[in-house]
Amino acid sequence: MKKLCTFFIALMLPVSASADRALVDRVISNHVIPRFQTLAQTTAQLAETAAQTCDLSNGQVVSDYHAAFDAWIGVSHLRFGPTEIEDRAFALAFWPDPRSKTPKALRAMITEEDPVIQLPENYAEASIAVRGFYAMEYILFDEPTQALGHPEYQCALFQAMTQDTAALSQAILDDWQPDYAALMLAAGQNDRYQTEKEAVQELFKASLTGFQFTKDTRIGRPLGSFDNPRPKRAEARRSGRSLRNAVLATEAALDLARQLGEGDEVIQSRYDELEHYFTTATAKLESPVFAGVSDPQSRVKIEVVQQAVDRLLEFTLNGLGPYLGVAEGFNALDGD
Amino acid sequence: MTSRRGFLAGLAAAGLVPRTTWASAGAPALLAAARTDTGAYVLCGLSGAGEVLFDIPLPDRGHAAAAHPHRAEAVAFARRPGRFAIILNCVSGAVLATLDAPAGRHFYGHGSFSLDGRYLFTTENDYEAGLGVIGIWDSAQDYRRVGEYYSGGVGPHEIKTLPSGDLVVANGGIETHPDAGRAKLNIPTMEPNLCYLSTDGEVLETVKLDHSLHKNSIRHLDVSRDGLVAAGMQWQGDAGQVVPLVFTHKQGEAAVILDVGTALYRRMDGYVGSIAIDSAGQTVAATSPRGGLVLTAELGGPAPKTAIDTHADVCGVAYGPWGRMVTTGRGQVIGGLSLSPNDYPKLHWDNHLVRI
Repeated sequence: MKKLCTFFIALMLPVSASADRALVDRVISNHVIPRFQTLAQTTAQLAETAAQTCDLSNGQVVSDYHAAFDAWIGVSHLRFGPTEIEDRAFALAFWPDPRSKTPKALRAMITEEDPVIQLPENYAEASIAVRGFYAMEYILFDEPTQALGHPEYQCALFQAMTQDTAALSQAILDDWQPDYAALMLAAGQNDRYQTEKEAVQELFKASLTGFQFTKDTRIGRPLGSFDNPRPKRAEARRSGRSLRNAVLATEAALDLARQLGEGDEVIQSRYDELEHYFTTATAKLESPVFAGVSDPQSRVKIEVVQQAVDRLLEFTLNGLGPYLGVAEGFNALDGD
Repeated sequence: MTSRRGFLAGLAAAGLVPRTTWASAGAPALLAAARTDTGAYVLCGLSGAGEVLFDIPLPDRGHAAAAHPHRAEAVAFARRPGRFAIILNCVSGAVLATLDAPAGRHFYGHGSFSLDGRYLFTTENDYEAGLGVIGIWDSAQDYRRVGEYYSGGVGPHEIKTLPSGDLVVANGGIETHPDAGRAKLNIPTMEPNLCYLSTDGEVLETVKLDHSLHKNSIRHLDVSRDGLVAAGMQWQGDAGQVVPLVFTHKQGEAAVILDVGTALYRRMDGYVGSIAIDSAGQTVAATSPRGGLVLTAELGGPAPKTAIDTHADVCGVAYGPWGRMVTTGRGQVIGGLSLSPNDYPKLHWDNHLVRI
């Protein structure tokens, strides 16, 4: 595959690569690859730290966990290609979980001392609900989960989780470079991306996905409705990361959108305004876990943050999309 | 148009017309929902020549509609996770009844009437259990809910009534929960199926494709006069993998994947938005709004004869005595008895075109 790709690129690329290809090249080099490298490095670091201690309240374990989770949020919008092979992204991030499959599966696993944790390759076959960042959060931060079973088992379980997470992250990076990057750069000469525009569109859609998921799910889920706010449904509230995730995810999608619109001053200055609106709105939030959703006065502030993400989404859709020549139709965009 | 409707509504109010039939609504051949350029939503009746015969305002973006087999009554569903549906009198535009999803259920946006028109069956989500449900509503009791049963799978989407009176349901396999928005919760483990049910809820037959296609969500259906079912799918796996998106199935037989080759399926971008089969069961048409095309295939032979028509943002499709008709998000109604497309520049036709 590697050799074949290189061969085709050498054979078929025109000498002066098109603007679309150059754009995809820049975005992969400056946005995609560095972020997946960070994910691979931070998850490997977490696995290394976890291997050295069974004290799960250890400050290094916790800070390594946060660094790795930050790195995941920073790529969580890039849901295509290597993240989707063998359901890797689902295994890294099983959330939302409205029917509480993760705590239920962890409870069963810990109380029965499921031996699946003994070998990393076995853990990769475990239920997706007990893998990745959101399952690790229960082990590190959820007291009812921590009270289950034996500490030795919990330690071994956490080690298996961190190794699995590191292996998944490395596998994604390994697939990105050089193969998947080469595939996108050879857009127009392969079946996956039949025109150069399709590679641009893939990256554009990733940016939209990031804004949309943050607006609807990361922020929308705890907001619930005015009459029925759902603070306990905030993402990663046990580790106090709900707002942090929303901010990092928005920044990541925005970084991608800005890079896609690089060189256009109108687009950049509009993103400047929208970013300012977003950061001003988030600065006014007091609770890191959107606890204010239940109080009408602080709820409004969270709604303003959601609106700020929606504005970014709208402008990306209606401003950046047409600029890139990748606008989508009414039915194509929102099917059912 | 309005005056005619007003006149007929007056007759109805005076008790002179006991039941409003489709003839009194101008004998539309099809129903379709649309967004107007002002952002409002309407349900339209279309003739076999693609002319708009009536338009009725909708409270919100609708998904599909279901048409009563005899009376000029249509069900318009809110988009999923919709909590309500409304029954419209297509002559007066009046809301005859509102269907509220019971606690713990939401609609998926499709429904079908029993052959005699008395009962309406709706696809619903029992989201705490993560299971599909068919809700039953009695039109003889102002559309009161009179029961429900298991749909035979997860995430039921389109439902059709077979010529035998039994039901066929596309269980898309995707678990969603209103608290998680439109997030798909079980892609790695999803198992879609096509399920035949009696109107009493007995599972008559369940059809699954090969496990390699377990991420191919079976979502849309149509049925020919002799009960041949055509199903359209939406691929949830890696976008780089090209998979078949259409199959046909006859009760008691094996499913037959429509083999049109990978090149055509690739152009459909993993996504069939609507599907239709002609009454003779000889031709199937599937739309892909993402690919901007309609695939038409003649069934029967080992290598089906195919045709591709490209229309930007095409989605709705139906067959009738007037032939094949499609609608687009850009306001076009193409085909049927009309030789040239009907343009409605102020309308964006929504996902489906429903034959009456």
